[in-house]
Formats: sequence, C-alpha cells, structure tokens
Amino acid sequence: MSNISVYDELDQAIDQMLQPQLASPSFPQRARNGWGPQRRRDPGTPSQTDEGNIRELVELAADLRDLPRANFKTRLKLELEWEAAGRRVSAGETDQQSARGVAPASGEILPSLFGKNWAGYPVRRINFALSLALHGVMAFLVGAGFLMVKSYVPRVAPQPYVTVRLDPYPVRIGSHPSGGGGSGGAADRMRASAGVAPPAAREQLTPPIVMHSMSRPRMAAAATVIAPPDLAVPRTQQIGDPLSALTTPSNGPGVAGGIGGNIGGGVGGNRGGFGRGPGAAGGCCGGPYSVGNGVSMPRAIYAPEPEFSEEARIAKFQGEVTLLVTIGTDGRAKNLAVVRSLGMGLDQKALDAVRTWRFDPAKKDGRPVAVQMNIIVNFHLF
Amino acid sequence: MNAVANLANLTSLNDERLLIQAAQSDPSRFAELYESNFNRVYAFVARRVKDREEAQDVTADVFHQALRNLGGFQWRGVPFAAWLLRIAANALADRWQRAARSVEVPAEDGQIENEAGMAETAEVERRAMLFQLVDRLPNDQRTVVVRRFVEQKSIREIAQELGRSEGAVKQLQFRALETLREQVRKSHE
Repeated sequence: MSNISVYDELDQAIDQMLQPQLASPSFPQRARNGWGPQRRRDPGTPSQTDEGNIRELVELAADLRDLPRANFKTRLKLELEWEAAGRRVSAGETDQQSARGVAPASGEILPSLFGKNWAGYPVRRINFALSLALHGVMAFLVGAGFLMVKSYVPRVAPQPYVTVRLDPYPVRIGSHPSGGGGSGGAADRMRASAGVAPPAAREQLTPPIVMHSMSRPRMAAAATVIAPPDLAVPRTQQIGDPLSALTTPSNGPGVAGGIGGNIGGGVGGNRGGFGRGPGAAGGCCGGPYSVGNGVSMPRAIYAPEPEFSEEARIAKFQGEVTLLVTIGTDGRAKNLAVVRSLGMGLDQKALDAVRTWRFDPAKKDGRPVAVQMNIIVNFHLF
Repeated sequence: MNAVANLANLTSLNDERLLIQAAQSDPSRFAELYESNFNRVYAFVARRVKDREEAQDVTADVFHQALRNLGGFQWRGVPFAAWLLRIAANALADRWQRAARSVEVPAEDGQIENEAGMAETAEVERRAMLFQLVDRLPNDQRTVVVRRFVEQKSIREIAQELGRSEGAVKQLQFRALETLREQVRKSHE
C-alpha cells in the first residue's frame, strides 16, 4: 500500500464531509459504515486499519470546520486593547460587525470613511478625516509647487556686494615710478636739457645737476631725487630732464638746485621740489603718486554700488573687476583702465560706477596729490 | 475528573487570580486573560450557533462585556473561564430569546449541575485544545488546515495558491490531522 492512496482516501472523505449534500449516507452513518462503498478500490487500497485511521482523522477534521477565521483572534485582541486604552474604536453594531469579519454591503463606497472598517484594523472616523485632510493639504502643496516652478521666470535681484579696496594693488608698489616733484634749476638761461633723473633716494643730500659749478666739492655725494629707492628708471650717463627735448646741457632756469624751471632740488619743469618731472616736491617724471611713502590713501566719500549687467544677472555670474584709477586732487576718478577683466558686461558697469565716485584725495605733506591705485570691484549675488 | 478541574488545566488558579487583579488595575493586561481563554469561549459558542460569523460575533461580544465589567468581577476561587462562559451563555440567550432555546452552561460557582453538562464542558475543552493546537502546527500545515476547513477550498485551489502539487497538499493535510490527533491524545493521557 502506498501512502499516496491513504492521502487520496482521506481527501475524498474530507470532500464528502465538507459537502454534505454530496455525501450519502450522512456523515455519522458513513463514519460508522466506513468509506468503502463510495470509492473505487484498486490493488493499493487502504486496509481496515487505514480506514479506522481515516475515520478518526475525518472526525477531527469535522471539528476543524468551526475554526475561527485566521485573523479574527488577532483583530479582536487589537480591538480590546484599543478599548482597554480608553479609545473607543467605533460605535454601533455595524462597526462591531465589520471588525469581526462581516463584509461591508456591496456597493458601499469607502466604508472606512465612516468608521466601518473592513481592513482588519480598527478605525476612528476622526483619524480618517484627519488623514484625508492632511493628504489633501500635501497634494495642494505639491501641486502649487509644480505650478510655481513651471511659471517661474528666472529673475535674480541685482544685489551686488561691492568691496572697494583703496589700498594699492600690490604689484604696483615699487615697480612704478613715483610721480610728482620736479623743478629746481641753477638759474640758467636755457631750459633744462634732456637726460634721465639721477638715482632715487628717500632723502636728498645733493640735488641733481647737469653742469657742475663746483669742480671740487668739499664733500662728494651722489645726486639723487626723492623717490622710493627701488624705483627702476633707465640709466644713462647724462642726467637731465626726461621730459625735455633739449640736448644742450643746462640745469634750467629754476633755483634751489636741481634740474628744471622752478624752485626745488628735483628734476622737472614746474614748481620745483626734490623730485623728477613737472609736479611739485621731489618726484620724478610727472604723473600721479602711488600710495605709501608719505602719500596717504584717498578715502571714498561717495561710492554707489555698480549695477549688474543683465547678461551676468541671468547667468548668475560673479567675480571681481580690477581697475587702475587715478584719483585726482579734486577727488574724482580719472584715467580708468581695466587691469583684470571679468566680462559679461561687468567691466563697463564697474567703470561706470567708479567714475561717479568721489574721494577725499590722497595727501602728501598735508597737500592733496593725485595718486594712481587699483580698485577692485566685487560682483556677488546673494 | 471534575469538569471544573479541566477548565483550570491551562492556568493555575493562583496565577489566574493574579492576572485578573493585574487586569483590574490595568485594563491593558486583559490581553493575557484573553489569550488564555479565547479558544475556550469560541469553542463554547461555536457549538451553539449556526455559522462561523455568528460564533465570531458572539465571542467578540463576550470579551467586550468582560472587559467592561472586569472591575466588578470578584474572585471566588472559580476559574475565570466560568465567568466568561456565563457571559457567553447570557449573550446567546439574548440572541435566542425569540427561539426560546436553552443553553447549558456551568453554574457561576463552577459546579456542573448534571452529567450532560459535564460532557458538554469536556467537549468544549477538547475543542478549545484542538483550536489551540492548530496554532502550533508548522506554518505550511496550518495554512493547509485553515484554507481547507475554514475557507473550505479544494485541494486543487490550495495547490495553485501555494504553488505546490496536489499530492503535496494532500500530504500536508494528512500530516496536519495526524499531528493534531497525536497531540490531542497526549493531552488526555
């Protein structure tokens, strides 16, 4: 006898037990008489012992028909726990029935909306309503977000952050001749002759001179002009006024030593001093001063912020523009030039803005002087 | 053996009294009493109603009433199950009031009034144990039992749902019933 036959016998008997209308005679009668008359026997049919065995199992199976549904016990326990916690799950007989496994009426829409839960979990109406409302708000926010993103036109408010650095551009210090100064002379009839300025020194012992009136000075000292010692200028044997076109040696019509047409110990053609060039004091070769060496930094007293160009604003382009600017004695920015370009139209915006700025001019020895300096304009979006 | 003694098989009276006192002071502890008495109450009700849905309905009523009235329960040395079965009998009586059907239940003091009542109580205990043993079956056997006898599906349907052959499902059915029979026998020894 194979086990498969016993399994089939048992299943056949269980089928008849579960479908009493097909079982004839009734279950108790068949249980007493055995299951033989209804089955087709073959050589492997169960023995009498197997029949008794099957009968016992079928009787056991009959009791199992009354088993509760699989989730009923758990669901009822959950319901009781809620009730024990003081939270009434749902009121009404219909609600209790639904929690016990009675299916909702056909065609009923969203039964849990009204607390008639069929999902195996007790539901309170207020919870469902709150959940529904919360989901509605979230859906609204998501939808509104999509609409805002879709209709958004990129527009960045021009809020440039401008940093005005009035300190000299580092590269410029010491590599550019100091300006200003000049004049001097030895009361000659001719203007100063052409030549280069003598070496620069911070203090002048001997003003430059083209023609020595003293062949043997008691204390020899090299002629200098007042300027930073590291000032680099062309060197030739002929000392003279760099701005002059005359080649006939002359100290110029000025006085107080030096070369030029005025008073002072410098080289130049203006008011004198100890420098080089047409300015006052002891500089060289004309042009503005650089900040430092006794020349104070100009102070910005009116510096409106530059505008962003439309192109840079759309591209959210940021950076710095470095301008080389001469701050005149009148406090205005002149001779502007772009040293480091940024592009996107921001160079022009920086130039336009700095032209409108007003400065308290730089001073040397208490007098306003023109200085050349770098101004870095920062364009930053926030 | 006295039938009331059978009711006290699963939990000793002393332990049960402590559980009741705990549940009376903290209703959330009622779950332990529920777990130990669910099968008994359900088996009692299931023998007296016409279908499973009604049995579940009445069982739920019984435990809801028990939870609500637990504060008024007074320990008299009688198993808690007797009190629950009294509630179940009353619930059934209310339902059958029109049909005027009577319900045989243990008296509230735990004494069984006649021989038929004792046999009834013993049968309830046997069924309660059987239902409890189903929960302890291996997963695959329990699945087959539930689908075959509770949902009353055919072997072919179960085989399709589980993705197994019909022979394998029949074998699981056979083994589950054999296991249950052995366990029931052991419990009576």
